[in-house]
Formats: sequence, structure tokens, C-alpha cells
Amino acid sequence: MLELALQVNLDPQFVWNGLVIGSIFAIAALGLTLIFGVLDFILVCYGEYLTLGAYFAWVAYVDFGIPIFVAVMIAMIGVAAISYLLDKTVFQYFRADDRDRVTLLIVSIGIAFILRNVIRIIWGTRSRAIRRTGAGVTESIEVGGVFIQPSQPIIIVASLVALAVTFLVLRRTDVGIAMRAASDDLDLVRLRGIDTERLVVYVWIIGGAIAGLSGVLLGINAQVRPVMGFFAIILIFGAVIAGGIGSPTGAVGGGYLMGFIREMSVALGIPTNYKIAVAFVVFIGILLWRPDGLFGQSTRDT
Amino acid sequence: MSFHSLLLTVAIIMGIWGLLGLGLNLNYGDTGLLNFAHVGFFGIGAYTSAILTVPPPTGSLADRVVGFDLPIVVGMIAAMLVAALAGVLFALPSAQLDGDYFAIVTLSLAEISRFILTNEKWLTAGVKGLNNIPRPLSSSITFDYNIFYLGLIVAVMIGSLFVLTRLTESPFGRILHAVREDEQVPKALGKNTYLAKIKSFGIAAGLAGLAGGLWAHWSYALTPFQFNPNITFLIWTGIILGGIGSHYGALLGTFVIVFLREATRLLPELPFGLSDDVQFLRLILIGALLIAVLYFRPHGILGDKERLSAGTTGGGE
Repeated sequence: MLELALQVNLDPQFVWNGLVIGSIFAIAALGLTLIFGVLDFILVCYGEYLTLGAYFAWVAYVDFGIPIFVAVMIAMIGVAAISYLLDKTVFQYFRADDRDRVTLLIVSIGIAFILRNVIRIIWGTRSRAIRRTGAGVTESIEVGGVFIQPSQPIIIVASLVALAVTFLVLRRTDVGIAMRAASDDLDLVRLRGIDTERLVVYVWIIGGAIAGLSGVLLGINAQVRPVMGFFAIILIFGAVIAGGIGSPTGAVGGGYLMGFIREMSVALGIPTNYKIAVAFVVFIGILLWRPDGLFGQSTRDT
Repeated sequence: MSFHSLLLTVAIIMGIWGLLGLGLNLNYGDTGLLNFAHVGFFGIGAYTSAILTVPPPTGSLADRVVGFDLPIVVGMIAAMLVAALAGVLFALPSAQLDGDYFAIVTLSLAEISRFILTNEKWLTAGVKGLNNIPRPLSSSITFDYNIFYLGLIVAVMIGSLFVLTRLTESPFGRILHAVREDEQVPKALGKNTYLAKIKSFGIAAGLAGLAGGLWAHWSYALTPFQFNPNITFLIWTGIILGGIGSHYGALLGTFVIVFLREATRLLPELPFGLSDDVQFLRLILIGALLIAVLYFRPHGILGDKERLSAGTTGGGE
């Protein structure tokens, strides 16, 4: 019965949409899992980091006419800088004296309130498109019954490049290797004489840059709105959890999984309005079934 | 709106949010549960009572098909029961999870319930909203209706405070506190901590459902977006501000949040065209206040740090 439904409704369009959304979630989840793994708390304002990235790129590209690739770089550097500054001005003081991770979680809720509303004051609540005025609406191209927005292949490629670069950093550089080790056990890394404070700074900067990029991609694929990151954050957490907290490969797998499930649930006859709910149910199911995630070994001591 | 009636309105909202704060404090302050689903129970309660008490729809333009025209008392009781049931259902899978997993799962479950409120138009009228929700005794009150309603809320609040104080000082309350401090200890003593967490969640959800019913029958109209996750975050801010683990602290903290949200309406004209942005500025203020409290006074205004860590918080007097 289920198989029949799949055969009937498995429209390649859903597969394509899933791939596009999954690419965005994969890169967003990778950034979050790096932060989550090393700092060990739920960073609620990561959603706002995405939003900021999208707005930075929008301002640079639409208002200042800067080429899109440079605009993306500006967004990444801008969010990385904000991520670093927020650690130096706020988070640092709550990490310093071994405050528990619940306090840090709640501090990040406060930051989320501040950032989201600063964004609303500066740029208003209207939704924007990363598209120059007069450029007109770009036509979708039809390939074998699948409608493809010209920006979508670019999103997929950009995400793949970012994933490759991040994995190179994680596997080939001292900072990256230390980061992966820190995500397993921060105390052991400290014992080995690695400056964990400096490591944490790198984590904020790399995580922030990745957040900025994911925000731009999310904004290009849909719209730029003050709440865009806030409403994406649960699924990104879902991707991180599905892959196993602190596991970079897991986060990427989890991201694609969340993207595909979100889009493909339609093929199972579930109304479109519930596609996000379906993805939520799936990651909750994964969490209950395999608390360390689908791809991870035990990454976390309880 | 005159100053007097604005004051009454703010007091009523404070009372309803205060009930939400009390429940969340039972979960986090007493049991250590990171409940991020609280707005979900508020919404489920509000819609339950509203759907049960509105008349069936008329006319072909209506989205919804149900409406039961039952007495408001029935609606309120059902609001409490259905929300409590939802709380138990949410807790069944979540209660076995580690702290921050619990937070993310409950946050998602609250969002799922909001999707349902948004999409099941036959039941909730969807984004159009549910209107003309009846008010209790609306025809027989001869004086200012808001004074009557505030009295009703104060009565509910006193009742809830009484029950919660008794509960947290009872042996059951001590189990909750032990779960908060270190779940392994009561477990080792043979206490069923899983069940204790589910009960704590169910009770808080029931109270939030009652708050939802009170909100629905006062506000006339409900839309699903009123029940977005920000409300949960704001109630959290309130209980941390007031002092975790203290009933009166939870009330005071949520009162402060409501005051900050509502009192800014009285502000004079601001320079630089900022008056349009007051609604955003006050959320920035709330965010900054939250961080400042956590830094300078982590145990909040009324919370007692030593008592909190000793695991014997109770009445908070």
C-alpha cells in the first residue's frame, strides 16, 4: 500500500526540492554542530545568525550593487564578526565560571530577542528578495518535468563547496583536528596543552561564517524576513540531533535527511502544511530510537 | 483607552500569564524540566474551551464545521483536562531524554500543535481565527466587566498558589526536587522518577490550559499565531527574572514581563521616529534584562540561591 503510494506520487520535483532544501540545512547544521559540540549548549540565537547573514547579503547585493559572490563573503565575515563579538561581550562571562548549559541556553534566548528586534528596527518587517529591482522574476527552467529555479543549482554547488572546505579544515588543519577532539572531550584537549579559549574563538568564527552563508542561501531560495532563522532553527537542531550532536558528517547527513523528509512527505499523501511537522516527528523518533543519532557513535557523556 | 481601564486590562493579562509562570516554575524550578512547550498547552486550552462553547457556525462562508454551544464552565474544565492530557502525551516520549534534548523535543511538539491549530480549519477556523467566544456571565454583570474578570482570575490564582504550595511541600514535591538536583538519587531509592516528571508536566500543562480558557473567554477572538514559541520564551524570561523555584518569584517575574510589554503603550512620542518601533524596542529591553539578571543575580529577584541548591524550595515566602 505504502509502496504503491510512493510509486504513484514520487514526483522528481519533490526530490529536487528536497535536495535544494537539504543542501541548505546540511551546511547550516554543520555550523551549529561545531558550536554545539565544543561549547555544549543549545544556541537558540543561531537562527538569528542566519537571518543576519541573509540581510547583510541583501543590503550588499541590492542596495550597494556589489556582485553576489562578494556579497556572500561580506555576509560570512559580518556574521563571523558578530558571533565573535557576542562571545566576547556576553557568552564569555557565562562560560567563565562553569555556569551550566541551561544558563547559556537562556542567555542565547535573550540574544535572539535582541538580534531579531534590532533587525526589525533596521530593516523593517517586510519580506525582501535577494534580487535587484528591474531584474524581473527569473523564469524556472523545466528539465525532464522538474522546475528548476536558476539559483537552485548554485545553492547546491555553494553548499557542497562550503562542506568540502569545512571538512578540509576539520581534517587537515591543527585547529580543525583540535576542534573535533574538543567536541569529544574538552578537558582532554586542555590536558594536551591546547589553548581551549583560542579554540573556542575559532569555533565561534567558523560557526558564524557558516551561519552567514546558510542564511544567504536560505534567503536566496525563499525570502529574507526577520523571523526566517527563528522558524528554521528547530529543523536545524533536528538535523544536528538526527546526526548525533558534535558529529560533522552526522549533521550533514541529518541536514539532507530533514530537507528530503520535509519535501517528500507530500509524496506519502501528507498535506503540504504538515511537511515541517513530519520532519519534526521523524527527528524526535530518531532521538528516541537512537539517542546518539543515526550516524554518530556516543558523542556525549550523560 | 483610559488609564483606569488600561490598568485593569494589564492586570488581567498579568494574571493569565502569572498562571503560565506558576506552571513553568513547577516544571523547571521544582523539577528541573526544560519545558519549551508551555505555549502549546496555553493554546490547546484556549482552543478547547472556545470550540466547546461557541455555537455551531452558520452560513456557507464558515471554515469551521464544529461548535458545541456548551456552558463556559464545561469548556474551562475541558480546557484544563485536554491540556493536561496533551502534557502527559508530550512528556511520555520526552521524559526519558537528557535536559536539552527535552527542550528541543518539547519546543517541536508545541510547534506541531500550532500547525494543527493553523491547518485544521474545520475545527479552529485556521488563520481567520475563532471569533465571538462567549464571556462568562456577560449579561448579568452590571458593573465594569473587567473588574469581575480580574476577580475571577485572582480567585483562580489563589487556588492555584494554594494547590502548588501544598504540592511542592508534599512528599511528591520532595521527589520533584530530588529529580531536579540529581535524578540518580531518587532513582536509587526506588522512586519512579519518570512518572514524577510526567506528573509534573501534566499538572503544569493543565494549569496552562486553564490559563488558556481564561484567555479565550476574555479576549473574544483567537488566532493560532497568538500561540507562537515567543510566548514560551517570554514566560521563561519571567520566571528567571522573578527567581527560579519560588512561586511568588514566578508570579512577580511574569508580571514584570507583561508590564514591560503593555506599559510601553503609555510612553510619550519618541524621537527619531522610534515610536513605531516601540514593540521591538521592548523585546530588546526584555532580552537585555534577561541577560543582566542572569549575570548579576542568577537566582532572580525572589529566588533564594542557597535554598535552590539545597533542593528545599517550596512556598517561596
